[in-house]
Amino acid sequence: MNRVVVPGEVLAEKPLRIDNSFVDGEKTVSSVLGMFDEQRMSLIPLEGLWYPRKGDSVIGVIDEARMSSYNVDLNAPYKGMIIAKFTKENLRRGDVVEALVRGIDDTKVVILSSPRRLSGGKVMDIKPSKVPRVIGKEKGMLKQLISGTKANIMVGMNGRIWIHGGDIKLATEAILKIEKEAHTSGLTERIRSMFPAGSAEEQTEQEGVPENKE
Amino acid sequence: MGGSGEKPQLIKEGKRLDGRAFDQLRPLKIEANVLKNAAGSAYLEWGNNKVLAAVFGPKEALPKHTQDPDKAVIKCRYSMAPFSSIEGHGRSGQNRRAIEISKVTREVFEKAVMLDYFPGNEIEIFIEILQSDGGTRVAGITAASVALASSGIPMYDLPYAVSVGKVGEDVILDLNMIEDNYSDADMPVAIAPRSNEVLLLQMDGSLTKEQFSKGMEYIKNAGKFISAEQRRALSAPYETSAAKYEGKQ
Repeated sequence: MNRVVVPGEVLAEKPLRIDNSFVDGEKTVSSVLGMFDEQRMSLIPLEGLWYPRKGDSVIGVIDEARMSSYNVDLNAPYKGMIIAKFTKENLRRGDVVEALVRGIDDTKVVILSSPRRLSGGKVMDIKPSKVPRVIGKEKGMLKQLISGTKANIMVGMNGRIWIHGGDIKLATEAILKIEKEAHTSGLTERIRSMFPAGSAEEQTEQEGVPENKE
Repeated sequence: MGGSGEKPQLIKEGKRLDGRAFDQLRPLKIEANVLKNAAGSAYLEWGNNKVLAAVFGPKEALPKHTQDPDKAVIKCRYSMAPFSSIEGHGRSGQNRRAIEISKVTREVFEKAVMLDYFPGNEIEIFIEILQSDGGTRVAGITAASVALASSGIPMYDLPYAVSVGKVGEDVILDLNMIEDNYSDADMPVAIAPRSNEVLLLQMDGSLTKEQFSKGMEYIKNAGKFISAEQRRALSAPYETSAAKYEGKQ
C-alpha cells in the first residue's frame, strides 16, 4: 500500500535505514514529500533534488575550461569537475558532455570521469526525482521513447536529457508528460498512444501477420 | 497593543467580535505549487490574510562572502504588498518591522531544514503578504513551510505557526487585526509539530504563567488542524491525479 508522506511524518516506530529518511531516537522519520511503500519499506521522493552517487551517469554543460580542469554545470546544488589529464577530449565552454560520477570530495564537488562530448541535439531539464520514471523498469520507457520518436535520447541522473535527431518535438512532449504524471500507474500505455501507430517495432511485427488475410 | 483612540469591546457575552470562541481558528486554506518559476511555492488564505510564499534554490550563494562551506544558508524576505493593508503597511518598502520578521522567519527554518546537504549554497524564501488581517508573520511561516516541502528540500519537520493573545483576562487564539491592535498581549509562536519544539516565540505585552500555559495548550490543539491542512495541501495534487488515472484502468 502506497501512501503520500510529508517531512516530519513518522514512517516506522523503530530505527530503519530508508532513503530520504532519518532516525530520531527510536523512530524513522521522512525528510521529504514522497510516496512510501510500506511492504518494500521504500520512500520515493515526489519532489526533489539529485544527490550525486558514485557511478551515476550525468549530463552536464562545460561552464569553464581551465588549465588542468573543467568546471561542469550539472543543474544541481553541486559543482561538477573534470580533471583534464584524465580525458583526451578537448572541451570548450558550452559543450554538452556525458560523464560518470567518480566521487564526491569533502567540499561536495562532484568529480566526473570518462566524459564524452555530445554534439548537436537539444538539452532539456526535468525534475531529478522523475528521472527513474523516464528510464522505466529495465529501461522500458526509454526504449519506447527512442523507438517511438526515432531520436537518440540520453538521460542523466541529474535530470538533464539530451535529444538528438528524430522527432525532437514529440520526444520533448512525451518526456514532459512523463514528468507531470510520473506518480500514476499505466503511464507506459498512455505514452505509447502518443506515438504514431506502428512506430514501435514490436507492434508492427505482431500486427504483420493478421493483415495479410484479405 | 499599540492601538490608539477608543478601545473597542473585543469580547461580548463570551464571544469574540467575529463570533469565534476563544480557542477557535479562522478558516484556513493552503494550496501548494502555485508558481511555476519557483522551486516550491504555496498560497495561503487564513481568515482575511492572503499570503504567497516562494522558495528558490538550493543554488550557489552569492555574493560569495555569504557562503558557508559547511552548510547552506537561508535568505528570507518577508514583505507586505503596498495594497495589503488599510494602514499603509508596505507602501514604503522594507522597513524595520519587515526586516525583523524576515530574521525570525529565517531562524525558524534554519532549525527545520537539513542544511548540511548543501554546503556553499543558499535557499531563498520569499513571503509576500497580499492582504493582511493580523497574524501575518505566523501565516507567512505556515505558508513558507509548505513551499519548502513542495520544493523537495529535505526537512526535519514541517513547522507551523499561530498566535495567541490576551483580552482583559481571557486568552484568545489566532488574533485578527482589530484584536491584535487592541489586545493586552500578543504572542506569535512557531512549533515543530513532531517534537513540539518551539522555533519562534515573541511576546508583546504580558501574560501570567497560567495564561501562558493556557495559550500554549490552545496553540498545540490548533496545531493539529494546521498541520493537517499543510499535509492536505502537499499530498492532495498527487492523491487526486493518481486516483483519476487508476480509476480509468
